[in-house]
Amino acid sequence: MTAPRPTPPHRLATTLTTLVLPLATTGAAVAVGASWAPRLPDPVATHWGPSGAPDGFGTLTEMLMLPAVVVPLFVLGMWALAFFAGRDTSTRRLAAASSTFLAVMMSGLTIGSLAAQLDLPDAAAGPGVGPALGASVAAGVVAAAVVTLLVPRTAPQPTTTPPDAGAPRTDLAPTERAAWTRTVTSPVGTAVGAAATLTTAVLAIVLRTPGMLVVPVLLGALLAATLVLRVSVDGRGLVARSPFGWPSMRVPLDEVVAARVATVDPLREFGGWGYRVGAGGRVGFVLRRGEAVEVERTGGRVNVVTVDDAATAAALLNTLAERTRSPRTTG
Amino acid sequence: MIFRIDPTSGEPIYGQLADQVRAAVARGEVRSGERLPSARELATSLEVNLHTVLHAYQLLRDEGVVELRRGRGAVVTGSSDPDLSDLHAAVAALAATARRLRVAPETVTTLVKEALR
Repeated sequence: MTAPRPTPPHRLATTLTTLVLPLATTGAAVAVGASWAPRLPDPVATHWGPSGAPDGFGTLTEMLMLPAVVVPLFVLGMWALAFFAGRDTSTRRLAAASSTFLAVMMSGLTIGSLAAQLDLPDAAAGPGVGPALGASVAAGVVAAAVVTLLVPRTAPQPTTTPPDAGAPRTDLAPTERAAWTRTVTSPVGTAVGAAATLTTAVLAIVLRTPGMLVVPVLLGALLAATLVLRVSVDGRGLVARSPFGWPSMRVPLDEVVAARVATVDPLREFGGWGYRVGAGGRVGFVLRRGEAVEVERTGGRVNVVTVDDAATAAALLNTLAERTRSPRTTG
Repeated sequence: MIFRIDPTSGEPIYGQLADQVRAAVARGEVRSGERLPSARELATSLEVNLHTVLHAYQLLRDEGVVELRRGRGAVVTGSSDPDLSDLHAAVAALAATARRLRVAPETVTTLVKEALR
């Protein structure tokens, strides 16, 4: 790739949304939990069985270990990802949302389950954790959604430098217009996703927990939205979008530095399938192993979409991008 | 697939589009069952009139290259059924053998049903 990559933008916002707020939330929850020590039974309930009744007990310190140690480690990891590799808006959003969700959910669960045990002589007589769990997950989702909206976008960074001369081109007459389009599906994602959806649905029925049916429904919707994509290259740039219109990714022509063909291994380079942030801060849709269009973009960003016939797409993208930099004089 | 049009050439644009789909199908770049972009998407991509693309798709439908389905757009046709000629040959051989051995048709179908279980 080209020489020094610019540092990711909006580092202060990243630190506030992805590190400070989640840590403050978790810290407050741990402090409140610790301050309740005189009023809590010893041991406290730390685990609940499928029936809802407590079936695992431990000291208050053990109970507070998860929010006090594990959550901060995760939050720190997400912050580092966004701070050092968050050149794409979506990377910073994913990091902020994951960090916030886990912090708020675990804080709510800790406080909620401990509050239900206040002034009880024996934790075994305590109530189930169901309502606290439901409320905590909901609070986590809402907080993550709000934080996502607070993350500032990367500003458009148009360039007037022609695309890399070494990158492939399409032989296109000056009077010709061209567009390339193709759909791509994820075979592995479909199989794994269908299995997961089915398993959670069966579990919800077997465990007689109707509320749990939300999981397979959400999972199914998420899969339907991310396992098929239409990828196109035209005057608007490179666009990859699901049939529902979301999620989608767009690289405008005036931000293309060079488009090339790459070979992608989703599991090894991106840790899975779908819309992913991968090694080196590459961001994009990796739906299957193999051929992909890799676009080096202004601002040190790199976007990837796995798709067949990537060579045609990459060449056309470079050619159309070049046209925007050197306006045609003929009418 | 790639669509290229040249508004300055003498050939009408819908004809240019239809030519490219035919060629792509012939070269195997587009397989049967594959969906072409919706007329609206393609019209936006190429900055041409929606009716120009619809005209091309209708032409291809009349030629049997694509099927136009409501809400699904243009789908490339072509026989996707598996080749059943081996099975037809085996059934003919079975019938001949049964006749030669004078086995009743009911007995033959029963045997076949049991073998398929």
